Amino acid sequence: MPESGGAGTLVALIIFMAASVWLGTLAQRVVERSSFVKGYFLGNRGLGAWAVALTATVQSGGTFMGFPSLVYSHGWVVALWIAGYMVVPITAFGIFGKRLAQLSRRTGAITVPDLIRERFGSPTAGLTASLLILFFMSAMMVAQFKAGAIVMQISWPGTESLALSEDPQIANQRAYLIGLTIFTLIVVGYTLIGGFLAAVWTDLFQSVMMLIGVVILLVLALPPGGIEQATRQAVDNLGPGGDAFAFGPGYSKDGRQFLPVGLAFSFFFMWVFGGLGSPAGMVRVMACKNTESLRKSIYLLSIYNAFIYIPLVIICISARVMMPALAKPDEVIPRMALRTTADLWGGSFVAGLILSAPFGAVMATVSTYLVVIASGLVRDIYQRFINPTASERRIRWISYSMMVVVGLIAVGANIKPVDYLQAIVVFSGTCAGATFVVPAFMAAFWRRATAGGVMAAMLAGVTAVLGLYVAGWTWTWRGYDQGIGVAGTFRPYFLLGLDPIVWGLAVSLIAGIVGSIFTKPVDSERVSLFFDAQPAEYAQSSSVSAS
Amino acid sequence: MTRRPEDPVLRSSRREAIVVLLMWLGALAYTVTYCYLFGYNRSFESLKFVWGFPDWVFWGIIAPWSVCLVLSYLFATFFMRDEDLGEDPEEETNAGGTGEVTDA
Repeated sequence: MPESGGAGTLVALIIFMAASVWLGTLAQRVVERSSFVKGYFLGNRGLGAWAVALTATVQSGGTFMGFPSLVYSHGWVVALWIAGYMVVPITAFGIFGKRLAQLSRRTGAITVPDLIRERFGSPTAGLTASLLILFFMSAMMVAQFKAGAIVMQISWPGTESLALSEDPQIANQRAYLIGLTIFTLIVVGYTLIGGFLAAVWTDLFQSVMMLIGVVILLVLALPPGGIEQATRQAVDNLGPGGDAFAFGPGYSKDGRQFLPVGLAFSFFFMWVFGGLGSPAGMVRVMACKNTESLRKSIYLLSIYNAFIYIPLVIICISARVMMPALAKPDEVIPRMALRTTADLWGGSFVAGLILSAPFGAVMATVSTYLVVIASGLVRDIYQRFINPTASERRIRWISYSMMVVVGLIAVGANIKPVDYLQAIVVFSGTCAGATFVVPAFMAAFWRRATAGGVMAAMLAGVTAVLGLYVAGWTWTWRGYDQGIGVAGTFRPYFLLGLDPIVWGLAVSLIAGIVGSIFTKPVDSERVSLFFDAQPAEYAQSSSVSAS
Repeated sequence: MTRRPEDPVLRSSRREAIVVLLMWLGALAYTVTYCYLFGYNRSFESLKFVWGFPDWVFWGIIAPWSVCLVLSYLFATFFMRDEDLGEDPEEETNAGGTGEVTDA
């Protein structure tokens, strides 16, 4: 069995990078056609259906690559773990997509904090949102840089690791640092050139490549006897207790319950509301061209998800039979790619394509976060509080500088890389969901919602999630283990067997309602602007009247 | 001041949001209940396969997933309304919005 990606992987990586830089320069041309801020941070509100569908909800590279290893380790129950994705497309764009897109136009909002500030007439609420976003996004982005550097490292000749495995020791420090440098230069470079659109287009590009890779792998990986035969054999191979591979709560060597029913329930919240509350996703909905793009996105993404997640389950069930004892389950997809293409004409390149998919995913994710963080710093902090009358030229330079500074900080933080990459990604995603979903509902549908209520909802949501995580770490540190969920030391406390996202959302909802009832309503003129039909004379260019 | 009629985008969005939330709730209730009843704590001997999938995966996940796929298509094509989303207030400003909002 081949042990490293070889020339095919390197070629595929170079193609990914070249394509991304090229897309960055294309994006720059579009940015030049409108005002800088709206073009650079929002793509001039021109996203079509494909771009919205495939980039507004797809989870980060880290999360995406974790899923196959779970199927390999725990079996069929992971299909239930991921089942919430059946309603992700329709919830992502059908709940408040249209309203967000409309409100952001009516207020001229470029970022999520902009929108909250204008909708509730409160700079304090806007600032609270920006600080929370900066906090989550920075944590996620730093973690992603490590993933990027590791993928670069594995395509290095002679290394024997193949995936985003989380070894505490990174074997080859020099290759890691070179990987980190090249990765940073490329991603910060193309994002800086093309801004939001560069991030969206590279994301779209990698999503399509990922789909092609998964479909090819599905065809190659299907065992002769079909997946029924594969399941039977996998259960046989596992010996006593192997039955669990075909049922809930899933197989584990040590009897750990991977997915008790409380967690299965929770993941329907996690995928739907975690995605809905992601600031990066919300911005992409705000940037959609029109309602037709939103509508089409629903079925494009439905088809995409069905062709990604179900085949990945089948591939990894087959993998359990083809490669029964992988030391690092994280490597299941790359190893399957190498194994199934070994005898194929052009197999090395096909394998390379599949191996580089996580790299593309990580690049796209980092690029997305860079834009959100830079827009937060420039728009929500610099323009609001430091220099509200800055010229376009000045804002442009400040934006570029911010991206470079954020990139340098991420590199600095990764010279000694963080552990628990995957856990940080899940944690930040949960926090974002619990923080922003209820406020978005309030902004879109509730006249009586107030600035005080929306702040209470944000802070209560994030506090609940943080509290459960801190409780979990403390327990783990003292040696307790609830024995459910993914194994690892960075796990939350599952109160009543439910994931923190459920509690975060519930607490956020209560706080939002109570907070709004007990605080002063938003003035009626402002509410009317967002909730009532506008008189004909406003129809062409409705604008917010401030006081 | 007489109250103006409700914004049409708000009206259609609310209707659509309710339908979508019901669909999410339906998918959640059906899938989790079905899989819990038929996919947990069983013996391997009792397992049947439908198109290669374990029976509970097929009826509890693949079947509702297919239904959601069809419903999502119908929703997006026939139920969700196209609307005018409006324009940004002033094209040339980089500040956006009004820039004059203060806390009440």
